[in-house]
Amino acid sequence: MSFIILIAAGLLVPVFYRNNIIIAKLIAISAFILSMFFIYQGQSLVGLFPGFAVDSATKLMEYVLLVTLAAVTFSLTGFERPLIAQMLFLAGASIAFLESANFFLFIVLFEVIAIISYILVANIRNFYNAEGAIKAFIAGAVASGVILLGFALYSFTTTSFAYIDMNVHGKFTLIAVAIMLAGIFYKLTVVPMHGWAADAYSQVNHAAAGILSGVIKSVVLFATFKAFYKFLITYPFATVLIFAFFAIITMTLANFMALWQKRISKILAYSSIAHSGYALIPFAAATSIYSYSGILYYAIAYIFMQTSVFLILNDLRRELGVKYLEDLKGLYKKAPIHSLFFTIQLFSLAGIPLLAGFLAKAVAFYAGVDVGLWWVVLIALLNSALAVAYYVWIIKHIYMDEPNNFETISISTGSLIGQLILLAGTIYFGIIGADVFNATLP
Amino acid sequence: MVAVDIIFAPIVFSALVYFFTRGAEQFAKYIALGWFIVLFIIALSWYHQLPEDGWLFLGNYLSVPQFGFELTLQIDALSVAMLLLTAALLILVVFTSWNEKKQGAYFSLLIMFSGPIFGVFMTTNVLWFFMFWELTLVPMLFLVGIWGEENRIYAAIKFFLYTHVFAMFMFVGFYLLYKQTGYWDLTLIKETALVTPALIWWLMFIGFAAKLPVFPFHTWLPDAHVQAPSSISVLLAGVLLKMGAYGLIRFTVELMPITTMHFAPWMLGFGLATTFFAGFLAIYERHIKKMVAYSSISHMGLVVVAISTMTYDGLSAALYEMIGHALVISPLFLIAGWLHHKTHTWYMDEMGGIMKKAPYASAIFILAGMAALGLPGTMGFVGELTIIISAVKAYGWWIAVIALAGLISAGYIIWSVRRAIHGPMSPVVEKADFSMSLPEKFALAVYAFLIVYFGVNPQPIFDLANQAFSWLGGM
Repeated sequence: MSFIILIAAGLLVPVFYRNNIIIAKLIAISAFILSMFFIYQGQSLVGLFPGFAVDSATKLMEYVLLVTLAAVTFSLTGFERPLIAQMLFLAGASIAFLESANFFLFIVLFEVIAIISYILVANIRNFYNAEGAIKAFIAGAVASGVILLGFALYSFTTTSFAYIDMNVHGKFTLIAVAIMLAGIFYKLTVVPMHGWAADAYSQVNHAAAGILSGVIKSVVLFATFKAFYKFLITYPFATVLIFAFFAIITMTLANFMALWQKRISKILAYSSIAHSGYALIPFAAATSIYSYSGILYYAIAYIFMQTSVFLILNDLRRELGVKYLEDLKGLYKKAPIHSLFFTIQLFSLAGIPLLAGFLAKAVAFYAGVDVGLWWVVLIALLNSALAVAYYVWIIKHIYMDEPNNFETISISTGSLIGQLILLAGTIYFGIIGADVFNATLP
Repeated sequence: MVAVDIIFAPIVFSALVYFFTRGAEQFAKYIALGWFIVLFIIALSWYHQLPEDGWLFLGNYLSVPQFGFELTLQIDALSVAMLLLTAALLILVVFTSWNEKKQGAYFSLLIMFSGPIFGVFMTTNVLWFFMFWELTLVPMLFLVGIWGEENRIYAAIKFFLYTHVFAMFMFVGFYLLYKQTGYWDLTLIKETALVTPALIWWLMFIGFAAKLPVFPFHTWLPDAHVQAPSSISVLLAGVLLKMGAYGLIRFTVELMPITTMHFAPWMLGFGLATTFFAGFLAIYERHIKKMVAYSSISHMGLVVVAISTMTYDGLSAALYEMIGHALVISPLFLIAGWLHHKTHTWYMDEMGGIMKKAPYASAIFILAGMAALGLPGTMGFVGELTIIISAVKAYGWWIAVIALAGLISAGYIIWSVRRAIHGPMSPVVEKADFSMSLPEKFALAVYAFLIVYFGVNPQPIFDLANQAFSWLGGM
């Protein structure tokens, strides 16, 4: 039901948004709330279509996803109205993707989400460059091709596509899964498949970048873990080496690249790539009982904070023309509320406690220690401490420098509501870990 | 319910204070003062409720049974000593920053700081301990970075990054503790035998050593202490460094006594190196606040020496010296900062003859200085004497070389008094106006009183120490 409601709302919204964006937003938000209700009732897709399965962790992830998209809907302006419909389609596709229980649906829905993301980055052209959108499209197309190749190979080895029936000892399985993962790594922006992301995230409309880097990446992360879980625990030695290696190079390279950037959106883009690196640690540690909690926690924390920072940046870009770090000087005088939200979410990204970013890291990294990868975790923690350098550098510009000019802006009501929702999520999951653990562990 | 509120309420409360006092900023300090007095009274009431030995249980919150993650609040005599010290210093800090700029934000950050710092000393859950430990950095970053001196931003970011990076080593140590024992709670971990304690010990030691700071990890401190406003230097020296010593006692001595015994010579080595290295640097320094900062490091080195003895005497001496160091170094920092504020120079040889123009501040500077070098009748004497005695008992007569530390302190203190306070009056001092506000005078008087009071009557602190370390076989 949730799926149908979201798709129907997505088709309905474009009728209204040209004339009256308020009605469009209301329809979208009520669709999100209604679909949350049906997910709660256990009628999202499971009862209606075959090939889907749902557990309490998936449900929690879906609630978080819908809440985040509702928060984004609140903060959009008329200029970004096409995003409303796209977000509704994205929500429908993501719910199906998260609930899918076989590889065929996984591949198809992965494509659907990819296509929505191309539209997302490409259709608002104003002061943003088309280059990022083109790069996202071409990299995405390559990734799709690679995944299809892997899937084709995989289909030789198996008689059933269901996750639980995965024939992990088949002839081509290792190669097939490796190729599929290579394609998925494009979407997860794992180094060295990250090249497109730094440009795409920083050059498209920042609200769209928030959805692309925050929402879609979290969803892909969680669904991929679910899909390949059986594989990961069957070949612990191979997966530990591969994922630990990619985790380390991704976070290290991205953090060092972020240190050099002057464009604020580029810093956030590289920070997003670094976070993919941290999120790979539960994959390496799949045999730990905490790996599932870790990946769920990371996806939840990341969706809130990453979406929030890009939405704030979107406001700042639109109202104050903020592009470079220099433009942030003395922001606390010009936009005090924005500054406060921005600072808290950046601290969360940096992993400062009482915010979701810390507990997510604490749980996800503990999974690594649990299987004996304490040295990988030490590298990851030192990386996240290094990352504090550029987050604090942004905060330094906001609070410790004097402004160049004195235009002041106030936050719009929609933005305020959206940011409050995201902040509530960041703080709630930063203090109370019980929900995530109840959903994943008995 | 009180216990968990006094940790979380200030964090929420600080934002409210900031927004509600925007029109009338001068009220913020009264709110802060009131709140810190309440904290002091609560800490005092816990002091009276403490059981003979063991823990006073304050509550369990936010439980996640699957991960052993739970905000367990319980305190013993050591925590209460730290809580009382913290609350007292916070109250005095309000007086010494009475006329600070941008008061609304300043005092809201101080209120915010009071939450996590209480949490650090109150919780026995290791993960929550780490969370509060990290959280204390955030208000400090802003307090140093916004209200500090010329190089404040460099110092603030260096302080934040440095302590954050070294805390990560500690965090891996905590992870390994949980992996091997299955508990995050200190009191439960203590009852479990550990398999690879050496790695855990070193990871945690590095984390605490950077905070303390111990010699090779100390470079953040001179920058942070010099660039911070004087009142914040007081908090850094009086409270944040104590977190390191507290952690060292709690996590190495109490948690893994056998491993600590094994590595005690290393700890002793680090402690001695810190004491002498920082002492010699202090002699060399012309910069008055840097001199005080190095003297602070040097005294913390003595604390490490005392902790490394692992005896009842040694730990009692360490606790006494921790409190003594906080009370002695604070007026030195305050007066150093105040002198810079009035004379606009940092260098002692450009000052001179301050005694004639500012006798009150000079007298307290000399008193605190004498306490730092260990003059009988002050806290410094009792602290250094007990540390030397306990070290000689534990390691033999040769360790009496640490008495030279007292000699080195005499070197830098007396020389700086000679250069800055006495001597011919320099033109800088001639021009300066040395008026001091009443709250500042009051706070300095309180420090002077406490230094002498506990110097003459050290028994209350040793009673607390007796309660805290009776498990080591005290009297």
